[in-house]
Amino acid sequence: MSDADKNATGSSGIRASRRTVIKGVIASGVAVSAAGYLVYDRYGSSLGRAKGSVERLVTLNVNGKDRRVDVLPNETLAHTIRYKLGLTGTKIGCDHSECGACTVMVDDISTYSCSTLTHSVRSRKVTTIEGVEGPNGELHKVQKAMIKELGPQCGFCTSGQVVAAVALLKQNPTPTVDEARRGMSGNMCRCGAYDHYLKAVMTASREA
Amino acid sequence: MAYNLIGKDFTPMDVEAKVTGRAKYAEDFRAENMVFCKTLTSSIPHARIKSIDTSEALKMQGVLGILTADDVPQFPPPALPILAKDEVFYIGDPILAVAAESEEIAANAIEAIKIDFEQLPHVVDPLESLFPGGPNARTEGNVAAGQIKLQTVKWEASDFASAGDKKMPMGRAAEEWSYGNVDAGFKNAKVTIEETFVTGTYSHNCMETRSTFAYWQGGKCFLHGSNQSHTAAIANISRYIGIEPENLVLIAEYCGGGFGSKIPGYPNMAIAALMSKKINRPVMHRITRTDEYGIGGARPGFQAYIKMGFAASGKLLAADMYLVQESGPHATAGDFRAAGNALTMMYQPEACKFRSVPVLTNTVPMGAHRGPGENQFAALVEPMFDKAAKQLNIDRMAIRRINAPDSKGTIGKDRGPLTSAFQKEALDQAAAMFKWNERKNLSGQRTGSKVIGIGIGQGYHSAGTNGFDGLLRITPDGKLHVHTGIGNLGTYSHSATARVAADMLNYDWENTIIERGDTRKALPFNSPQAGSLSASTQSRTMYVAALDMKDKLTDIAAKSLGGQPADYVLAKEKVVHKSDASKSMTYQQAAQKAVELGGKYSGKEVPEDLNPITKNSVATIAGSGLIAAAKDNLPRVGVTPGLSVSMAQIELDVETGKFEIKDMISVADCGTVLHPLGLGHQISGGNVMGIGMVMERHIYDPKLGIPASVGFHSGKLPTYLDVPVEVGWGAVDKPDPQNPIGVKGVGEPVLGSGAAAITSAIADALGGHLFNRTPVTPDMIINHLAGRPPAHKPLQVNAV
Amino acid sequence: MNVKDMMPQFDLFQPATVKDALGLLDSYGKDAWKMAGGYDSLVWFKERIKHPKAVVDLSAIKEMQGIKETADGVEIGALTTLTEVERDPIIKAKYRLLSDAVSHVASPQIRHAGTIGGNASQDARCLYYRYGLPCYRAGGNTCFADTPEGINREHALFESDRCVAVSPSDGAPALVALDAKFVLQSSSGERVVGSEEFFVGPKVDIIHMTSTKPEEILTAIRIPKTWANANFYFEKVADRNTWDFPLVNVAAALQVQNGTVRDARIACGGVSAVPRRLTQVEQILKGQPVNEQTAKIAGQSASRGARPLNYNGFKIPLMENLVMRAVRDAKA
Repeated sequence: MSDADKNATGSSGIRASRRTVIKGVIASGVAVSAAGYLVYDRYGSSLGRAKGSVERLVTLNVNGKDRRVDVLPNETLAHTIRYKLGLTGTKIGCDHSECGACTVMVDDISTYSCSTLTHSVRSRKVTTIEGVEGPNGELHKVQKAMIKELGPQCGFCTSGQVVAAVALLKQNPTPTVDEARRGMSGNMCRCGAYDHYLKAVMTASREA
Repeated sequence: MAYNLIGKDFTPMDVEAKVTGRAKYAEDFRAENMVFCKTLTSSIPHARIKSIDTSEALKMQGVLGILTADDVPQFPPPALPILAKDEVFYIGDPILAVAAESEEIAANAIEAIKIDFEQLPHVVDPLESLFPGGPNARTEGNVAAGQIKLQTVKWEASDFASAGDKKMPMGRAAEEWSYGNVDAGFKNAKVTIEETFVTGTYSHNCMETRSTFAYWQGGKCFLHGSNQSHTAAIANISRYIGIEPENLVLIAEYCGGGFGSKIPGYPNMAIAALMSKKINRPVMHRITRTDEYGIGGARPGFQAYIKMGFAASGKLLAADMYLVQESGPHATAGDFRAAGNALTMMYQPEACKFRSVPVLTNTVPMGAHRGPGENQFAALVEPMFDKAAKQLNIDRMAIRRINAPDSKGTIGKDRGPLTSAFQKEALDQAAAMFKWNERKNLSGQRTGSKVIGIGIGQGYHSAGTNGFDGLLRITPDGKLHVHTGIGNLGTYSHSATARVAADMLNYDWENTIIERGDTRKALPFNSPQAGSLSASTQSRTMYVAALDMKDKLTDIAAKSLGGQPADYVLAKEKVVHKSDASKSMTYQQAAQKAVELGGKYSGKEVPEDLNPITKNSVATIAGSGLIAAAKDNLPRVGVTPGLSVSMAQIELDVETGKFEIKDMISVADCGTVLHPLGLGHQISGGNVMGIGMVMERHIYDPKLGIPASVGFHSGKLPTYLDVPVEVGWGAVDKPDPQNPIGVKGVGEPVLGSGAAAITSAIADALGGHLFNRTPVTPDMIINHLAGRPPAHKPLQVNAV
Repeated sequence: MNVKDMMPQFDLFQPATVKDALGLLDSYGKDAWKMAGGYDSLVWFKERIKHPKAVVDLSAIKEMQGIKETADGVEIGALTTLTEVERDPIIKAKYRLLSDAVSHVASPQIRHAGTIGGNASQDARCLYYRYGLPCYRAGGNTCFADTPEGINREHALFESDRCVAVSPSDGAPALVALDAKFVLQSSSGERVVGSEEFFVGPKVDIIHMTSTKPEEILTAIRIPKTWANANFYFEKVADRNTWDFPLVNVAAALQVQNGTVRDARIACGGVSAVPRRLTQVEQILKGQPVNEQTAKIAGQSASRGARPLNYNGFKIPLMENLVMRAVRDAKA
């Protein structure tokens, strides 16, 4: 259980009864960080409640589990997973789809979570870095390869690199070096660890 | 000494955390009742703040507090402030911070704040500021640096007129020195090269922005930050917050990139801390990429002139360099001095003259970026050696070799000594690895629209210092705890250097625990993870601490088993009598004994010369085991240089201006190799950043002062597809005689040699044409090949 | 340069049908914003430059997804992702120019979510416009790029009328070269327009890049079989080899018989507010043998009429070279 889960708490300073209802629903499900996510109601009580607009309470399938969570219409998937689901492995490097540190998989397809509205993935399967390893913590072959080839330096882009590699190998299990390079090309590494990561992808592709 | 651990690969203990997403960076921490903080920054490049109206923002539901310059410690200008007080100096300059229940509310509040600015003239081009009547970046002056007080410097119109459009004007210098007879040197030169050059500024663009998370408990400030140092930053960060160092608990286990911009802590860290104190809630100050572009630092640029006189042999007889530095708005950039040093170090000119003016600009704050000054210098000046070689009709390798420093070389205006230098060996090794003698014949070879360019580059940065403390502890369970106070940029030197201690003490690596990243872990005062210092400095502190540990182990053995300490030696995790194997005690037993003995054995008494931070740290673990603490007082005379060579083969398409790096290698002179895989990582990563230096840019609209290169995309950072599949590497592996393990650092020079290899290769592909500018962009190449004039003026900066 | 990253509130709608989506557009009028993949949209919101009240997320509309062969050619749902277009067997087999072109867009993750309709319709990238300055394209009455010191390296060579922004799409020139038709639906019906009418320059509409009306949705792109299996060439030159928009790109379809050009359609991106159809070059090529000399003449002719700005003059030789290469190296 992540530290975020351990830190999850009931809220203080609840001001509106509607929010109390939302709090109750969430608390009955999975522990979620709380007080910081009360939102200024720019449209008065009709916030996000125009007829036909999306419902705020959604069920997201993340890493194989269904999670009930209050999601604003303008919320990105990166923000939801990092601040409401306690999954801080996915990083925000730029928030503008320019670096790939926020890469997750949506239905096994690599996606920039910073540039995806959470509501767009309501009915889809989301996999974050935390969901790459097996249920008992068995490392994925990509992770093992990245350890063996010493992929990361500072590590901030690493979650995104791992997920992008996993998605790549799902789609093309035995890529050529060129195909691997291209498949990873949406992930930036400022430390310049590209050749180590690439080597790890090729090593992983050779494992069963 | 034969090593079991040093020189071998191993898996550092934090790699798994990185590949599983478990590694926690500053923005990953959460706390009950946490709130969010965002900064409002200047939208004008230079202005006086006349009034701030926060009334609408404070009325908003969920807004909890506002922090302005009045709420934070002040530092005398032109130091970097925490928040701007009366004057703002660049678009992105932080003015105030707003805390709210959510980040969105904070953003809404910022939109509702009204600031009345009085716009002032701004400048993004240093030479423009030096022109008589030209604008000043600050109302009080346009020139400042460390040891150069803020002042106004204007050149004469005649300085500019006599230089013309293409040559750098050279008026009054703010700093200058020389040695030898430069005029005589030029007189005797067979070939003289005279060039005006420009190096572009560009952002550090660390992958992790410098978010900070802070809260207070029991009178102490708990700060989760992103930083390159740990114990070395405590004093500074405490000063920014305005507290005593003992009241700062710094948690910074991982740093997602610093490259020189997060060395000693930075003022922005104080915002979360002070806001938290003000509103009595934990505060998450998430720094956006746009924020980071402003406060995150950038490499200073140069508008420069160099003249070099070569003998027929290729020996550099005389050099004269003038640098005008683009410094940003504060006195934070010392690159100009480092570049002057690099000239003396890399090429050992017999006579040398150096002049410089660091000019302030209304662009982002600038400071050290991986190999500050030296690397811009290398990238631009190395190809000039190719030009000289051509004119002298000698080999491009030979001209570098004849000037390359060896251990008898000197550095700086005072021509001080070096601890070691094996650059000739590095050049030879690189040449062999790259098959230089064959490949040089490929220069200019054309197939279809593609032409081959072969490039050589060299890099230098000082790479070692001393005077820090080592701290080791063997606990009664027999484990060796290596306490290390350096940061963690991902070089793994925290572990690689720990292996020095483990090796000397004959410890199993599996029984070694690295204590780092949190001031509560009793960390000694260590160097910043910067300046290519970690490997060499930490191996020294590990060495002296291990010696102290060895002394205490043999002491304890003698006390317990009889005889003299000198009768005992260290075996695998035990102390054994030299001639009586029955007289032995395990380290575990020794640790237990140490607790009993107290005094210096268990850390109750410590050497006087330890840094106060180390003493405080030892005090928190005193009595918990066998403790060794020592200051590195080992002698060290001279500068310890890290040196590197890179070689590259490119294919340049003359129809599109694009080039592909087909092959690249790099060899480092960094002393004894501690961790081969880690070293290779730094060498190739550094070379990739060097490729970046040839691509990356800052662009400012000069009229509006607005930045057009915010972020990774418009900053043009290299991607997977812009770098070669692999950068081959090697190391000279000759020990530095003034480091007990022979280690030197390597982090920085490899960026310079990498960048230089590319600029050299581009020039080579274009028949020797020197752009004398970075970045080198496809449009520059296309214009050159099409015979079109360049779009930018020769000395223009911050443009494309 | 202020409150980036936190989008302001909006109502979010996720209609399941085109009909529902059109209803929303009719209700909300200018307060509505159509979003496909979202890559362009979200940046405007995060920068707080555009503030729609209602965001209509089209991504759930199944009838706008997918590629099918028809009697006349192929129809591509506007919401088909760029990756799907890149990998589609029909496109690869017969209209390879398009799969080549979209394979160069941005990065893999963006291609997996970005749509062909969004790519063709994408907004200009001029840094001043994107900064939120009140230029012509933003409804103001000035241009910041076309000034003596303006940063206009990436801007237009042709047909600028007050605004010098360019079409930054890689997909659009290929669609123009394939003579694509654009299907626009509104509550009042459907209209199908060719690329000349779909892509608009500042003379026609200085604020929009396409002629799609606010109440319309681009639902599909139809490619006639006229240019199926022609000789194709696509090339893009950008600063970096991933993520970056083209400095200049070229998409060419040539019908070659016995080594002679029978017909040609060539378009360049990055040189004008619309993908620039090189009609003069096409005329020159008709009846010419495919060889170096023809290619050279074609290239040199491509830049006729160019009006360079202070920083973008390099686009002239670059465009000439790309067109030359297109004619020289186009293959089936």
